[in-house]
This record gives sequence, structure tokens and C-alpha cells, in this order.
Amino acid sequence: MTSKNGKLFSSKVLALFALLFITSINVSTAQNAELGEGLFSSNCASCHYLGDESKKLIGPGLAGHINEKYSTEWLYSWIKNSSELIASGDEQAIEAFEKYNKTQMTAFPQFSNDDIDNILAYIQEGPKEAVPESSVSASDGSNSEAFSTSKGLMGIALALLLLTLLVLVKVKNVLKEAKGEKSVSLLSGAGSWLKANPIFIVFFVIFTMLYGGKVVWDGLLTVGVQQGYQPEQPIAFSHKIHAGENGVDCNYCHSGARHSKSAGVPSANVCMNCHTYISSGTETGTTEIAKIYEAIGFDPETRTYIENYEQKPIEWVRIHNLPDLAYYNHSQHVNVAGIECQTCHGPVEEMDVVEQYAPLTMAWCIDCHKETKVDTDNPYYHDLNENWVKKYHGEDITVDMIGGLECGKCHY
Amino acid sequence: MKKVTKIVSLTLATFAASFMLQSCGAEGDHPGFEYMPNMYRSASYETYSENPVFENGITAQLSVEGTIPRGFTPFEYDNTLEDFLRAGKELSNPLSLDAKTLAEGKELYGIFCTHCHGAKGDGKGSIKHPVYGAVPDYADAIAPRRSGSTMNEMNDGQIFHTITFGLNAMGPHASQLTQKERWKIVQYVHELQQGSN
Repeated sequence: MTSKNGKLFSSKVLALFALLFITSINVSTAQNAELGEGLFSSNCASCHYLGDESKKLIGPGLAGHINEKYSTEWLYSWIKNSSELIASGDEQAIEAFEKYNKTQMTAFPQFSNDDIDNILAYIQEGPKEAVPESSVSASDGSNSEAFSTSKGLMGIALALLLLTLLVLVKVKNVLKEAKGEKSVSLLSGAGSWLKANPIFIVFFVIFTMLYGGKVVWDGLLTVGVQQGYQPEQPIAFSHKIHAGENGVDCNYCHSGARHSKSAGVPSANVCMNCHTYISSGTETGTTEIAKIYEAIGFDPETRTYIENYEQKPIEWVRIHNLPDLAYYNHSQHVNVAGIECQTCHGPVEEMDVVEQYAPLTMAWCIDCHKETKVDTDNPYYHDLNENWVKKYHGEDITVDMIGGLECGKCHY
Repeated sequence: MKKVTKIVSLTLATFAASFMLQSCGAEGDHPGFEYMPNMYRSASYETYSENPVFENGITAQLSVEGTIPRGFTPFEYDNTLEDFLRAGKELSNPLSLDAKTLAEGKELYGIFCTHCHGAKGDGKGSIKHPVYGAVPDYADAIAPRRSGSTMNEMNDGQIFHTITFGLNAMGPHASQLTQKERWKIVQYVHELQQGSN
């Protein structure tokens, strides 16, 4: 008990110092919208948007109108402790409380009047215009540009070579004519050269056959292998933004991967964990997120679900698809083996549009089973592991040594 | 002469075949060609496939309203402030708590909570959107929330209720986490409420 009190006391002291610090800065500038912005974004932003009252998040949107509707004194006491104000029977307070489903606002007793002034100044001023981000499309553009310039350079080099050849032939002909000999055109010259050197034709044919044969062979090997498949999805969902930039774990949305055979495509309610309140994206604005709302019947204006709405499935295009003759279980690989998602799916957190990274062929599975060492410390398989270690005299055990290549493990 | 024509035509045929086969592989919207698709495609309907048997055309049907999975205990509380407080009074963590469950709770917390609540529970997660920029600190002992208590006073039942139904800008996580997993997270959140950071 004493330690808890001590902790409470010390955090109170800390808060007091923080307040002193903030207020001491505020002495020079009575209302500082910049300080207000910091306070707003770390204390208010998860429940209030800036803007019209109708721009509801948890509470109403905040803008200049609140200064007209409420006195500054009222706002001080509301923000510091709204429940006290409601309990005191203040009419405006009760009205606001009733209007928002009797949701009580968090009290902020740590704010000084100056802090609140700063926040109000920021609310009055409104947010600064955000600079649209175009970094992603820019980097994509430069990539394809680099690719096309290397191709272009090759073309230019070839054209230069051809031009040199033509110029040389022309010069030779001019010299021949000057000498009084008959000039030879490029084609007939090449024809007579080939006649004189039949071995070239032989080599050319052999080369072509070998090269062609290799291309045909490689082509046949890609039949039924969907590596590189990158279909357009019904919603331009970017894993790069969600898993990469915002750092959401793969398992958050694909929560089936830990429990079941299938990693699972998240149902729309998982999207709505965040997108109930985030209705505008960084790249595509509202258009793509609105497609979720349309599928499940959610009104982003009022942030409520439309009653008796006929919900439609979002028809995602399946990318990774093992043939029906092979069995694969996600939970076994993710939970037991502890394999990273990226081992098979590649750097999905860097992909705007997901593509199939691995070939998913049987040879690919087997290669991995031959190389991957078994974690013999796994406590769940303690007895089994002990036997394996004994059998192999403590040398490294790979998946194939404990039956990872048996036909019936994957085909039954 | 005949021989030459034969050689030339063979060469051309190889070229033609190689160009045709180049488009066998997958690229962009094209999944590539399959050899004997009926060995590859499932004859039965797969989890996410279309289904002509059901009226709404979906294989993954919702269970009938009111049914529960085998071994599942329904959570007899509603998404209201009253039930939030009631859960806080009535419930306590049913798991036997030890270092192992704490480690599991930490791992689950890392998957399901860190991007908003931060690895230390201070509300500084990796989500960049402003709405999730003002997530409260678990160790906050100053600001009373709507329940009348501060963040560091939230108890077992209240945290469990919050994970199950969500609170304010936090969504419900009942579909992603089993009850057992939620209790493990509750245990780890208590750890973070101490504010060791």
C-alpha cells in the first residue's frame, strides 16, 4: 500500500513539474496554438476531430463554434472534470452529456487554465494544411524509369553499332568506286560471306536450338507455378501502409495463422477495429475505405451501422493457392516451428500490391524441410525430442530427419 | 536444298514455341497456365469460395444465432458502462498465473496491442493516424476515465471487458483472441500498469 501511495505521490510530483514547465513557457505567450497542438494530439485527438460539431469521433468535432457556444470558464471546468459539472446540475453540461449517449469525457485535472487556453487557441486556428504524400508513387516511378533507361541504353548502343556498320560499308563502297571496282550492297555482301563460311550457319542453328530449347524447358517449368502472380484486388489495400509503415503485426489481421490450417482473410469487423474512426487513407483518400463501408453497411458520417442492410462479401482474389493434392497447415509452421511469415510470403510489409513470392512447388517445400533445423528445446514435444536427440547422437536434426519428407505428411 | 528448309523451319518452330511458352508463367493479373487443373482445384467448396448452395453465395456461413462452439463459455456482459463496472466487480483472472503465462501474454500483447498502446503500454504505438496518437498510458494515475477510476486502477474484469468489447476508439477484439488469450493479456497489462518505463 505504501509503495502504491509513494508511486502516486511521485507521479503527482512529476505532473506538477510538467505543469510548472509548461506554464512557465506560457507566461510569455498567453495563447500558443503550437503548444496547444501538442496537447491536443496527445490528449484529445483519439476522441475529437477538428471541425464541425457533426464531425463526430467519440465526442463532437471541435472548432471555433465551441468558443461561441460555451464560456471559457465553463470550458475550463468541463475539461478538468466534466462529471462534477454534470453533477452540479449545469444545464449545458447535462445537455452535452445526454447528446452523446451519456458517454463521460475523461477528466483532465492535470491541465492548467493556460493549457486549456492553448488547446482552445489551436482548435480555433484549425489544423494546418497537410502536405499530400507522394513518396510511394515517386519511388515506384523511379524504379520503372531505371529499368527502362537500361533497356533504352542497350537500344541506343545497338543502333550506334548498326549505324557504324552502315557507314563502314558505305565508305568501303565509295573507296571501291573510286578504285573503279563494282560496289557491293550490304545484303548481297552478307549472302556471299555466309556462302563462303557455312560453318557459321551450323553454329547459328545449334545456338538457336539450344537457346530455344532452354526457353521452352523453362517455360514448361512455370506451368502450374504461380510465382509472381500479383492480381488487382477489389480494394486497393496496401500491406506496405498497414504492416510496414504503421507496424501492425501480420497475426493481428490473420489471426487464424496461430490456430488453424488457414491463416484466414480477416473479416470486415477486423478492418473496422480501426476504420470505424479512420475513414480517410493516406494514399487513396476515402474511396478505398468507403468500399468496406459499402460492403457491410456503415455510415461514416454518423459512425453507425445501417440497420437491415444487405451485406455483401468483399471478393478478394486468392493469390497463394496450393493444389488440392497437398496439405499445408499454418499453425504447425507458425506456432510449432516458429517460422516467420516472410520466409514463405516474402517482404509483404513492403508490398503495396501483394504478389506470390515463393514458387510453392514441392521441390521448394522439400528444400526447406532439408535445411530447417528442428527446435529440440520445444517443451511441448519434450519426450519426443529427447528420443530424437538420442537417436542422432546430439547432431543437428533437420525436418526431413524426423519424417518431414514422408509422402503421407502432405499427401493423403 | 530440302535439308536447309527443314533446318530453317525447325529453328523457326523452336523460336515460336519459346515465345508462346514465355507467357505460361504468372504475371500481374494472369495466374499462369495449369496442367490438368482438376488435380489442382478442390472438388469440394473451399472456406472462402463461392457457393451456389447457400442463398447468399458464401461458403463461410455464420453460425446460427444463439449457438456457441463446444467448450465455449459465453461472456454474460453487455457493451455498456454498467456491465463494464459489473465485470470489474465480479471477474478475476481464472488462469493460474506464472512466468510462462506472463511470457505468453507479452507475446500476444506484442501482436494485438503494441501498434496502438506501445511496447511499454505508454500509448505511443506505431500507428501514425492522429486518432491513435492520444492513446492513454496504462500507468496514468491522474486523469479519471468515465468509469471513475484512472488507467492504472483498471482491474481484471474491466480490462477483459475492454478487450472483448473495445472502448472509445478501440475496437472489439473478441473475434481475434480467445478468452484464455485475453486473460493472458490482462495479466501482462497489469505488469505495464506498474509503469516500469
